[in-house]
Amino acid sequence: MTSFVLQPEFFALLGIDLFLLLSLLTCLLDERFPKTIPYMYQLAAIYGFGHLLISRNFLDMFGEYTRFWYSFLYLVIALANIVAVNIYFAVLKRQNTISKIWSGAITFPSILVAVYFVMQYSSMQTSMPSIMLQISLPISAGVMGISLIILARPEIIRKLLHKKKEVIR
Amino acid sequence: MNLRNNRSPKKAVKLLILLLSSLLIASASASVYYSMIMQPTVTITSATIVFATGNDWPSGSTIGTNSTWVSLALKAYPNATLTYDQPLNISNTDAASHNFRLRHISITPATGQSAVGNFTSINFVVQNTTGVSQASFNYTTTGTSWNTPSPTGYMTLPANTQWIIHVDTTAVAGANAVTANLQIALDVQQ
Repeated sequence: MTSFVLQPEFFALLGIDLFLLLSLLTCLLDERFPKTIPYMYQLAAIYGFGHLLISRNFLDMFGEYTRFWYSFLYLVIALANIVAVNIYFAVLKRQNTISKIWSGAITFPSILVAVYFVMQYSSMQTSMPSIMLQISLPISAGVMGISLIILARPEIIRKLLHKKKEVIR
Repeated sequence: MNLRNNRSPKKAVKLLILLLSSLLIASASASVYYSMIMQPTVTITSATIVFATGNDWPSGSTIGTNSTWVSLALKAYPNATLTYDQPLNISNTDAASHNFRLRHISITPATGQSAVGNFTSINFVVQNTTGVSQASFNYTTTGTSWNTPSPTGYMTLPANTQWIIHVDTTAVAGANAVTANLQIALDVQQ
């Protein structure tokens, strides 16, 4: 059986997808962001695509070490943007509810998936799901699901808190 | 998130454009990455299953370089069965067992030609080391039509072992001197 080895450019691919996600989400929440932000993220994703193309065409020129670091740096920048949006909501806009939802639905799963693949790459394991994936991804999915429910029906939290207060009394 | 305000159509168009652009970038990036991982290395090694000449190797037969192909020159006698006990061997040179089968590719003269009627049958029998039949691969005729055999099932050839290809040929009484060319594949599972 031939094993599938993760290429360093996978982190760039992950970074591109995160930038695209940011672009769509900032477009949906455009009243809270400057108008150009979604397009900036699209440009960042196109930059990543160009980066992938160059990497493929000059595959022999760069060593795996270099390929890893420039791909990883791109992923870190994408994750930093996600965290920055989180901080933007919490600190600058003082929108704690959105900030919490964002951290649960976007920041937490993104970082979790990125950490998983970096660890997977570092140990040069095959693509077979390890026990970490089996545990971390359902947790991530659960947190994301709860966050989305809260996003759609924020009154659920209020009702739950209200019931708790009544029980305490 | 409210799409029901005055800017709804504008926002929807903007979102649609970004969505399409995102799909394009994501799929293009994925295909570039896929093309990077699909760069296999191919190493040339000697074949593990090869042909070997048998004790009844027919004169005029040829075995190819690296023993990966063979051309057997077999005869058939009118109104008699000619048996080649061991014209050819199949040899597993590997330290592990491998599965193989026989599969028909082509035969001439083609079905419909009158020359076909000169033959009765050409039967290839795979035998193990002790001569026990493992599979039969039999070409028969009905009038001027060939009844070509289906591929045999996969047989397991043990490590460092040779098996035998036994051949029986039969032609009809009063057959003319015609030649049949058969092409048979030996499929090996690595």
